[in-house]
Amino acid sequence: MKKLKVKISGMHCASCAGNVERSVRSVKGVKNVSVSAVTNTCFIECEDSTTNADIEKAVAKPGYKVVAIN
Amino acid sequence: MKHDHAITTAELSMEERDMRSWKRKLIGAWVLTVPIAALMLISYGGIDIDENVMMGVPLVLGFFVIFIIGFDTIRGGLRGFYTGYFSMDSLISLGTVLAYFTGIGTVFGFMESYAGVSAMIMTIFITGKFIESKARGRATQEIKKLLELGAKKARVLRGKEEIEIDASDIAIGDVLVVRPGEKIPTDGLVIKGASSVDESMVTGESLPVEKTVKSTVIGATINQEGILYIRATKIGNDTMLAHIIALVEEAQGTKVPIQKLADKITNVFVPVILGVALLTFLNWWYFTGELSRALGVGISVLVIACPCALGLAVPIALVVGSGMGAQRGILIRKGEAIQTMKRVKTIIFDKTGTITKGVPEVIGFAATSKKSYVLERALSLERLSEHPLARAVVTYAQGTKPLNVRGFKVIPGRGVEGWIGTNHYLIGNRALMREKGVRVGKLEKEIAEFEVAGTTVLIMAEQKTALGAFALADAIKEDSKEAISALKQAGFKTVMITGDNRPTAEKIAARVGIDAIIAEVLPADKAAHVERLQKEGFVAFVGDGINDAPALKQANVGIAMGTGTDIAIEAGDIVLVKGSLTGVVQAIRLSKATFRKIKQNLFWAFAYNVIAIPLAMGGVLSPLIAELAMALSSVSVVTNANLLRTMRM
Repeated sequence: MKKLKVKISGMHCASCAGNVERSVRSVKGVKNVSVSAVTNTCFIECEDSTTNADIEKAVAKPGYKVVAIN
Repeated sequence: MKHDHAITTAELSMEERDMRSWKRKLIGAWVLTVPIAALMLISYGGIDIDENVMMGVPLVLGFFVIFIIGFDTIRGGLRGFYTGYFSMDSLISLGTVLAYFTGIGTVFGFMESYAGVSAMIMTIFITGKFIESKARGRATQEIKKLLELGAKKARVLRGKEEIEIDASDIAIGDVLVVRPGEKIPTDGLVIKGASSVDESMVTGESLPVEKTVKSTVIGATINQEGILYIRATKIGNDTMLAHIIALVEEAQGTKVPIQKLADKITNVFVPVILGVALLTFLNWWYFTGELSRALGVGISVLVIACPCALGLAVPIALVVGSGMGAQRGILIRKGEAIQTMKRVKTIIFDKTGTITKGVPEVIGFAATSKKSYVLERALSLERLSEHPLARAVVTYAQGTKPLNVRGFKVIPGRGVEGWIGTNHYLIGNRALMREKGVRVGKLEKEIAEFEVAGTTVLIMAEQKTALGAFALADAIKEDSKEAISALKQAGFKTVMITGDNRPTAEKIAARVGIDAIIAEVLPADKAAHVERLQKEGFVAFVGDGINDAPALKQANVGIAMGTGTDIAIEAGDIVLVKGSLTGVVQAIRLSKATFRKIKQNLFWAFAYNVIAIPLAMGGVLSPLIAELAMALSSVSVVTNANLLRTMRM
């Protein structure tokens, strides 16, 4: 298990946070997702096997962009 | 670590970039929209304008406003129609694009033009977003301040030379030189020098903290008057400041239970509104037969509905509240704690390290000869010992001058002995005095009184005759009494839990005015006592977070007290960086005020949508008024959250 903090750009409203949450939750190995539209940050708990590229893809699907992952 | 620093800068500039881009759009949109509005006003005023101008100007200028300036919004919004991820932008895009195309319809002469209105809708939307992004920036200002708090440069001692380096290049073990007025570059240990340090920016402690050799110092705090030589003990992500930032950021992303419903609605909001708008349009068209009118009503529904007020209501208040807390050394780790706090009836305090400092202090002193004579000799001997009781005596005798001691020896479990000049001295407990055949005589009465009071007694003897006696007890923190009385006034039942025997516990309870005590408790049983009290209502537990972790977990709200540079990250729903009980009072006040804001915001957000959407469906509100109301609703939620700052802590 690992914890990721992902900074996302392009989220301009509350529904956006919901979209990111929904999309990231469907990534394999992701256990927990919490997105704040206020701080533009997404906290993810996932298996070690989940890659940053997986997360980036999931964030891009509803139309947003990953700025930084750590 | 450098990598992390880069992220921090990227974060800041991202929000900054966002705001700048909204501002650019804002200016462009208004410049193009004002002529449209002027034209419409003139024509309403009854002045005849050429029909082609009336049709053409909104279409041309509107094109720029919607498809060029609003490009990101339109692209993002329409994207939702094939990915299935709808957002606020989807509603605005559909609304404005539909409205714009009625303008083209007008050219062919079969409908009323909303093209001018569409440009205005986009302009108001952009204006609302600009104001909102500014207010959001204000909401996150505390965390930004924390991010910028760290020192940028450090002066490191290499051999005899001082070299200035980037703070990110500090290595553990480096000796750093900090002059008065400078920022301490990272967490460390003082190895030379003495000064006082302003730690308020990190711990919330308003008074300067004295630092001498062996004191720990916190990175990003400010050295006041003396030069300090510090050995770096923690760097990068391991520093106290880094921990605090990580903790606050994570907390701001957590959910408050009360927002569950709002979140559920937010997530289905846009598709539902799309459906409602379509039905409204069809209904109006079918019953009135007026396509233009029906479209106008449909567009009103699209643009009045806004998930933002609802979706931001809780998180924005949480961000403001937790940011305000962080500034005062109160770290709310879970949004849930804010809601639970409201139901707490009883607060249990661990004694040691919470109500008391957990270190002994001299609270009584008696001597048979001149006080300064006795203290001088006590200091001389005790400063050679590392024992906590000896330290307390040294602190008490501070200001007198140490003398030369020969033949110093620690007698384990008893005390110390040594020679000053030709005299032999002993400092220790009664057992030591008995073993060495010391005559206590004149001091017997005072010593007995100290013992009855539940204190630990140290006796000092010169040449086998008692000269003085010290009464030592666990020191009560300066603000414990005041804090507990404030909590009692607020209606909480206060309980102290301790491993001490009952008489000692009762004395401390009486000194701080606590309601009830649970004495003689083994550390492992604390959680069970919390559980027992939970049968009568919600319980908050205040403890040091290291020994009390199970009790903190068991309690409905666990409040962990920080000690030194370690903050117990894992234990506790709320962490107090500075170890004083005033923080408990502030944390409770802040939680309650934040939760009140959350409820207000939720109420207004629900009320707005429940009233505004039906009005729009009924055709009462024109698309323009609808959009204006929408922009105001989300701005007002964010502004209301920022008003939390006016509370008194």
